[in-house]
Amino acid sequence: MAEALFDKYGGFKFVSRLVLSFYDKVLDSDQVGDYFDDVDMPRLIDHQTKFVSSLLGGPVSYTDERLKRAHASLNLTSADFDEVQRLLRDTLAEHGIAPQDIDIVMVEIEARRGSILADAAS
Amino acid sequence: MSIAAINEQLLRAIGVGIAVVRRKDLRFLFTNEPFTEWFGKPEPRSSLPDLLHDIDMDDVKSEMERNDRYTGELQVKRKRRTLIIALSISCASADAQDFYVVECQNITRIRELESMIDSYSAMVERNTRELEREKERVERLLLNLMPRSVYEEFKTFGVVTPQLYESVSVVMLDFVDFTRFAAAHDPTVTLGELNDIFTAFDRIAEQFGCERIKTIGDAYLAVAGMPEPSPDHIRAVANCAVRFIRYLDRRNQSHQYKWEARIGLGTGSAVGSVVGIQKYVYDVFGSAVNLAARLQAFAKPMCIVAPDEMKEFLVDEFHLVDLGKQDIRSFGELRLMRVSPGIELARKSRQY
Repeated sequence: MAEALFDKYGGFKFVSRLVLSFYDKVLDSDQVGDYFDDVDMPRLIDHQTKFVSSLLGGPVSYTDERLKRAHASLNLTSADFDEVQRLLRDTLAEHGIAPQDIDIVMVEIEARRGSILADAAS
Repeated sequence: MSIAAINEQLLRAIGVGIAVVRRKDLRFLFTNEPFTEWFGKPEPRSSLPDLLHDIDMDDVKSEMERNDRYTGELQVKRKRRTLIIALSISCASADAQDFYVVECQNITRIRELESMIDSYSAMVERNTRELEREKERVERLLLNLMPRSVYEEFKTFGVVTPQLYESVSVVMLDFVDFTRFAAAHDPTVTLGELNDIFTAFDRIAEQFGCERIKTIGDAYLAVAGMPEPSPDHIRAVANCAVRFIRYLDRRNQSHQYKWEARIGLGTGSAVGSVVGIQKYVYDVFGSAVNLAARLQAFAKPMCIVAPDEMKEFLVDEFHLVDLGKQDIRSFGELRLMRVSPGIELARKSRQY
């Protein structure tokens, strides 16, 4: 496998900035922000750090089973998923990730749609 | 613009939340924008506790009396985000009035970063632990292929230099009728038997200062005196050999399959080295090894044969029977002897 995006863009030093701005965007979003209303900060940061690291091929594997468990009670819709996907795409673009690499990440996250949405058909 | 006006402008402009309250009743005299943004705008007659609900005012008062300063932390929910505010209250006085100056810093980002570092270091630590375990597994595997001191050399220098050992002893064992057994039984049965017996041999070898070098099919080869030199290598191989035989004897009494072995002992020089580049095998070569192999083939079932030159080292402890001069291929005529347990060991053997 080619070098992981995680390493290509400078490891945790880079990913930490990515995660914080993604975190801000998600919280500020009117579509999905409310889901995070009662989630305490350290938990959310932990989740996003691991999730983003894992999407970029960093030193963690976030299993689909864990994703499923983390989102199961939320009853998310496709619109929610699309919104988060869009926010992630924006974040990556803002941080200078090359378009072809963004596509790779988008494929990765799309592959997890079924695990994140309770009912993938909705 | 007066100095006082500039000061007030400054207080309003900075990102730190500032409030000034009267000491005696904690009523607000001044608040800047960040402060009101986080805690709300004070009503005309409201006091500090009205806005900072989570702060225990008795705590504040006692701290102020003791240190003239109070520090604490507050959480404020703004929209969906919980802000973490570091609070610091200090005393000031002017125009014969005492005030408290309340400073508030938004440390949310710091906390978020701390959480992220925690999360990341947990990941990295877990990976490090996994790598550590993996390394141990590899090390264990390599230690099965070569003695520890050889492994250390390999690890430090990347190669193992062949080393000549002037004086070592070798014990070589081979089973009687192994080929026939292997042909007549399922391979897993054969393997299970060998595994069981060789594991026991390994324990014996370890206990009596020998090191198993390899097994080739049903042959078992162990050495003493290398890679760590030992003055006792001749006795070490003889001690192993008699215990191998005793183990098989005892095992045959209770196991379905009976095994008989021939054992040859050899002594002399040998070279030890890792052979191969991709597939490491630590192996030994030399006259001691060849001699042991020849004598093993010469030995009768359940007998140990050794060259006469080992006699002076074994005579005190073992029962030795002279076999006379024998013609051994590539060694010529050699005086040989049969080695069996000495009186002491035989007595103990009957006891247990």
